[in-house]
Amino acid sequence: MRAGFGLPEGVVGGVIDTRRDQLPGYALDHPGPVVVEDFRKEVRFDPTPVQRELGVVSALAVQIRADDRQVGGIAVHSRTRQEFSAKDGHFLQALANVLGAAIERARHEEEVRDSEARFRELADTAPALMWMTDAEGDVTFVNEGWLRFTGRELSEDLGDTFGSSAHPDDRDDLLERWRDAFARRTEFRFEYRLMHRSGEHRWVLEVGVPRFSGGEFVGYVGTATDIHERKAMEDALRKSEASFRDLADNAPVMIWTTDERGLVTFVNAGWLAYTGTTLQDELGDTWTFGVHPEDAGTVVSAWHETLARRGLWEREYRLRAKGGDYRWISERGIPRHEGGSFVGYVGTAIDIHDRKTMESQLREVYEREHTIAETLQRSLLPERLPRIEGLEIAARYLPAGRGAAIGGDWYDALERPDGRVALVVGDVVGHGLRAAAIMGQLRNAFRAYGLAENSPAEVMARVNRLVMTGEEDVMATALYLVLDRETGEVQFSSAGHPPPLVLSDSGTSFLEGARSVPIGAVDPGVFREASATLPADASLLLYTDGLVERRDEPLERRLDALAEAAGRAPGGLEGLCDAVLAGVIGQSMPGDDVALLAVRPRPVASESIRFTLPAEPESLPGLRRRLARFLHAAGADDAETYEITLTVCEAAGNAIEHAYGPGDATFDVEARLDASELVATVSDRGNWRERRGAHRGRGLNIIEGLMDRVEVSTEQEGTVVRMRRRLGASRAA
Amino acid sequence: MSTLAEIGIERHGGTVVARLAGEVDMTNAAHVREQLLDAVPNDALALVVDLGDCRYLDSAAIEVIFDLSRRLQRRRQELRLVVPDSSPLGRVLVLTDVNSVAPVHPSLEAALAQ
Repeated sequence: MRAGFGLPEGVVGGVIDTRRDQLPGYALDHPGPVVVEDFRKEVRFDPTPVQRELGVVSALAVQIRADDRQVGGIAVHSRTRQEFSAKDGHFLQALANVLGAAIERARHEEEVRDSEARFRELADTAPALMWMTDAEGDVTFVNEGWLRFTGRELSEDLGDTFGSSAHPDDRDDLLERWRDAFARRTEFRFEYRLMHRSGEHRWVLEVGVPRFSGGEFVGYVGTATDIHERKAMEDALRKSEASFRDLADNAPVMIWTTDERGLVTFVNAGWLAYTGTTLQDELGDTWTFGVHPEDAGTVVSAWHETLARRGLWEREYRLRAKGGDYRWISERGIPRHEGGSFVGYVGTAIDIHDRKTMESQLREVYEREHTIAETLQRSLLPERLPRIEGLEIAARYLPAGRGAAIGGDWYDALERPDGRVALVVGDVVGHGLRAAAIMGQLRNAFRAYGLAENSPAEVMARVNRLVMTGEEDVMATALYLVLDRETGEVQFSSAGHPPPLVLSDSGTSFLEGARSVPIGAVDPGVFREASATLPADASLLLYTDGLVERRDEPLERRLDALAEAAGRAPGGLEGLCDAVLAGVIGQSMPGDDVALLAVRPRPVASESIRFTLPAEPESLPGLRRRLARFLHAAGADDAETYEITLTVCEAAGNAIEHAYGPGDATFDVEARLDASELVATVSDRGNWRERRGAHRGRGLNIIEGLMDRVEVSTEQEGTVVRMRRRLGASRAA
Repeated sequence: MSTLAEIGIERHGGTVVARLAGEVDMTNAAHVREQLLDAVPNDALALVVDLGDCRYLDSAAIEVIFDLSRRLQRRRQELRLVVPDSSPLGRVLVLTDVNSVAPVHPSLEAALAQ
C-alpha cells in the first residue's frame, strides 16, 4: 500500500514502534484478539502517537501468524466508542489467518525458486555431464560440462534432441530404453557411445532419474559419465593379455586382475596413483583394508558371493584414496575363462566421487519441495481436533504413497454460535505446495463463512465466490455439513464430493443428494442443499476421494467396499477409522491423500455440569445448548428445558450487565440434580441489580414465576442466585 | 446478519405474516425488532408474528413484542401472535402478560381469520 485515505502523511510506509506499552507491541505479544473498549480507560498500554492524533477511541487487534510465529498484526480502529464482540474478534482473526497463509506460501515459494536456481548453479560448476528434460521428454537444460564434451552450442541441444548425439549404431537401443523408462517413470541407465568434440565417439554411462515437483512428474534429470577407458580395456582384454597390461598401465582408469581364488594378481598404475600404495601392498586380499568401514562388511560378502558363482561384479563403494580420504568408486569385474576354465577376474574402477556428491545434492534439492509442501500441509491441518461437548470425534490423515505428491486434502470441525456443529472435508485439485497453500485458504474461508451463514448452500456459494474472484485457478471438491447434536438433524451441501456415510444399528447408508458443482468451476455456481435426520445411535463418516477412487475399479464398487468395511468395524470411532482404512485401502500405500473425519453425538448424562464463561452476551447461546443437553439427558421435557434454560440465562444476563468492564470478567454456572429436583446456581463478582430500562422487573418476574424457589444473596465476592425446580411436576399435576 | 434467528415475510392481503424461526435473546433482539418493523408498510392493517418454529425467547425478546405492539398501535396497526399448543413458549408468554398487548392464536389460520 502506498497511500491511505484519511490518514496523516507519513503513516503509510512508516515504521510502527513495537514497544510493549503501546497497542501494536502489546498485540504482538498476546495471542487472541486484544479489545480496547476505550483508550482513555485502558490500563494495559497507551495508544500510539498516530492513534492519539486520529482520536481513536476503540480498537480491536489480532496477530498475523505464519510458520507458527507472529509476523505482524492487524487492527481495526474507531473514533467513536465501539463494543467489539467475540464474533468481531473471530472475523478479524480469520482475515489475519488468510493473510498469514498467504505470507507462508510466498515464503515457501521463494525457497523453491531459490533451490531451482541453486541447482543450475551447482550443475554448471559440476565436472559431470548433466541434462534435464521436461514432462514431454524435451531437453530443457544441459550443463557446461555437457557442452564442453560434445562441443555443441546450447541451442543445438535443447528441444526434442534426446539421443541425437549418440553413435548411430547405439541410437535405436538408447531411444528404446529411454522411452520405456520414461513411460514407466523409472530410473534409466544405459551405456552408449556419445559424440565427442574431437569427432570420435566415447563410451558413456548415462543415468536418468524422474523428478517430481510437489508430486507432479516434471521430467528427468540425468548425468553421463565417461567410461571410455573401461570399455576400451574390456575390449583389449578380449584380444590379448599382453596388450592388455601394456594398455592398462597407460590408461587413466584403475584396473585390476585376480586369480581363480579371487586374490589380486595385478593392479595398474592408475590404481596405485589413486591409493598411493605400492603394487606389493595391493596383491592378495589386502584391497579390502582400504574399503570404508561402513561399506566393508557388505562389499566383502557380496564379492565372495559373486566369486562363488563367477558372476558379473558391479559395485559402488568408498575406497581410501591417497592422503586418507575415502572417495566413491564404481567398480566392475568380468570373469575370465581360458580354454573353458575359470581363471579369475579382470576389473576396472572409476572415481565417481564428484558424480555421487552431485547426485545426493540433487536429491536434496528435489526432496526439498516435497518436504516444504508436507510441512506446510501439516501446519495447516488442525493439530488437534477441537473438543466439542456432546460430540465424539476422530480423524485420520494418510499421505499418499512414496513418490506421489502431497495433496490438498483437509478436514475441519467447529461449533457454531447456534450450537450446531459444522463439519467439512475437502480436496483441492492438484498436488504439492500450491495445493497445500490453497487448502489453507479454503479451510479458513469455510471457518469464516461457516460461522456466519446458516445455510450450507450459502456457505458453499460464498466460498465459491471468494475463489472465483481470486487470481488463482483453483478447483476443489468439498462436503460441508451442519449437525444438530440434540435432534440429529443434518443439512449439507456437496460440491462434487463423494457422499458421507451414516452408520447405525439399522445398517449403513450414504447421505445422497445436494450434489453440486465443484468449487471454482463456474461463477455464480448453483449449490444445492439437502437435509436428513440421523438415527439416535448414528455415527457419521466424512472422507475424501483418495479413499474410494481407484482407476481400476468403478466408484460404486469402492463405495460398497467402504460401507462393508464400516459395517464390520468394532465399536468406537477410532476403531471405525482404523477398520475403514484397513478394509478399503489395505496394506498398500494410497495413490492419493486420504482424509477421514468421523463423528457421533454423545448423550450427556451427568450428575452435574459447571462452567465459567466470559461475561458477555455471546456466551449465552452456547450456555443454552449445554444446559439443554444436560436437561434432556436428565429427562426434562421441551417446556421444562426451555423454562429452566430461560431462567438460568436471565440470571446470567444480569451477571453480564453488571460485570466490571469488558475482557476479563466471567461468571459461573452450575446445574445439578438433587433427587428429582434441579438446582441451578449463577454467581458473578458484581452487585445484583435489577436491569434498567422499560422491561424492568420482567427478568426477575420470569425467574420467580418459573422456579419453585429462588434465593439471591449478595456476598462480599459477588452475587449468587440459587434456583430450584422439581422436574416432571407439570406432568404429575 | 443474525445466525440465531431467521425471519420470513409473507403478505396475506392487508396482513403481513412474519415467521420467526430460531432463537431470540439479548444478542439479536434489537436486530429482530428492526427487521419486523421494516417488514410492515404503512398501508398494512396487521402484523402476525408466527412463533411456531421459534424455540427460545428471553426477556429482551418479550420486550421487543411489547415495543412492537406500542409502535404498531400508534400507526393503528394490530399485532397478533401465533403460538401452537405444542410450543414450549406458552407459559412464559402468559407469565409476562404478553396477551394483554397482542392476542395469541394457536394457528396461523386462526390468526388470519381475525
